Amino acid sequence: MMGEIKQAMRRNLWDENQVLRQILGICSILAVTNLMTNTLVMGLGLIFVISLSSLTISLLRSYIPHRVRMIVQVFIIAAYVILVDIFIKAQLPEISKALGPYVGLIITNCIIMGRAEAYAQKNPPFLAMIDGFFAGLGYMLVILAISFIRELLGFGTIFGFDVNFIGFQTWTIMVMPPAAFFIIGVMTWAASSMRLSRQTLQKPSPAPTAAGQQASR
Amino acid sequence: MKREYIYTVLFTFVVSAVLTAILAGANAFFLPQIERNEELAEKRAILYVLNVPFADDSEVDTIFGESISEQNIDGLNVFTKYDEDGTAAGYAVPFQGSGLWGLIRGYMGIAADLSELLGIEFTDQNETPGLGSRIDEEWYKEQFRGIQLVDGEAVLTDDDGELLIDAITGATSTSNAVINIMRNSTASILSRLEGAL
Repeated sequence: MMGEIKQAMRRNLWDENQVLRQILGICSILAVTNLMTNTLVMGLGLIFVISLSSLTISLLRSYIPHRVRMIVQVFIIAAYVILVDIFIKAQLPEISKALGPYVGLIITNCIIMGRAEAYAQKNPPFLAMIDGFFAGLGYMLVILAISFIRELLGFGTIFGFDVNFIGFQTWTIMVMPPAAFFIIGVMTWAASSMRLSRQTLQKPSPAPTAAGQQASR
Repeated sequence: MKREYIYTVLFTFVVSAVLTAILAGANAFFLPQIERNEELAEKRAILYVLNVPFADDSEVDTIFGESISEQNIDGLNVFTKYDEDGTAAGYAVPFQGSGLWGLIRGYMGIAADLSELLGIEFTDQNETPGLGSRIDEEWYKEQFRGIQLVDGEAVLTDDDGELLIDAITGATSTSNAVINIMRNSTASILSRLEGAL
């Protein structure tokens, strides 16, 4: 059991990181990563939704008719997303206002569908939840790193606190969605080349793991 | 084969019924709090545009109850602020218009003699987070305080035709939309207020 948990952690945080390796969830990243607070709420919301929807889908996996499985998956994911949306509206009205429609758009985050299709529907509930949790955590860590760079250079703040002590001229481009493209590009490149250099060191090179990612962007 | 269809339909039906029930329950549970949040946001907006200071949320209800009264003027929900001696000091009037992505709604404060804007506040907007949504920032909204109202129109440009309101960098469309909304809504609101007062 511990071995499988460790494996799920390693796989989702690094080896097959949903953002850096699978290039999933890009749309939400472009939209929310210019402020760290919004990014954190988005990440936590996604972790909650992906853990519980993976758990639920795995619990129901032998009852869900194959023909309508994706519809049922979307149902379950949507229900959890609406729960998050209602909760944020009630408890964190300011953040709800700032995130606008993006909480609702967690439904379309392909990472959740991807884990449901690729893992949750053929693995036991607890492992499915762990897998979902780490997939979401892997996403959150990457988007927090991106938003750290964007908020620091774009606003001169971190989590809204002014850290621009030297009067640095902030970059408007960092506030705009294209900045996330540049940063994701550089991070993906760095992650891939680290992986490549590690592979050439150890021979024979292991076959790349193929965890059938069918969800569309 | 036929039984498989029936099972599929039944399963889908049951799953949707259960999920809908859960969501309806959660909605009913949180609804009072959500409505309270919205009411507070509305009252805060009205106090803000009328330039009435308040320290925090706990004060909002008291101050609002003491100095503001709502009335309907020519189809407009007008919130009038009265001074201690009972004379009207200003009106808060709702406005709306289309932004870049969707509806922008808010309140504008107008002086009792209809000569200037006391302030504006946005209560609803779906502009791009970090760009257009920065119309919510203090420095942007404060620019509208003291804008003159002449001949039923807001004077948003100076003598050389330069805008008096600084736009938001990277959010030109939203900035332009706000200017248009203010132009149109001040004109229609002023004509109705002038007719009624």
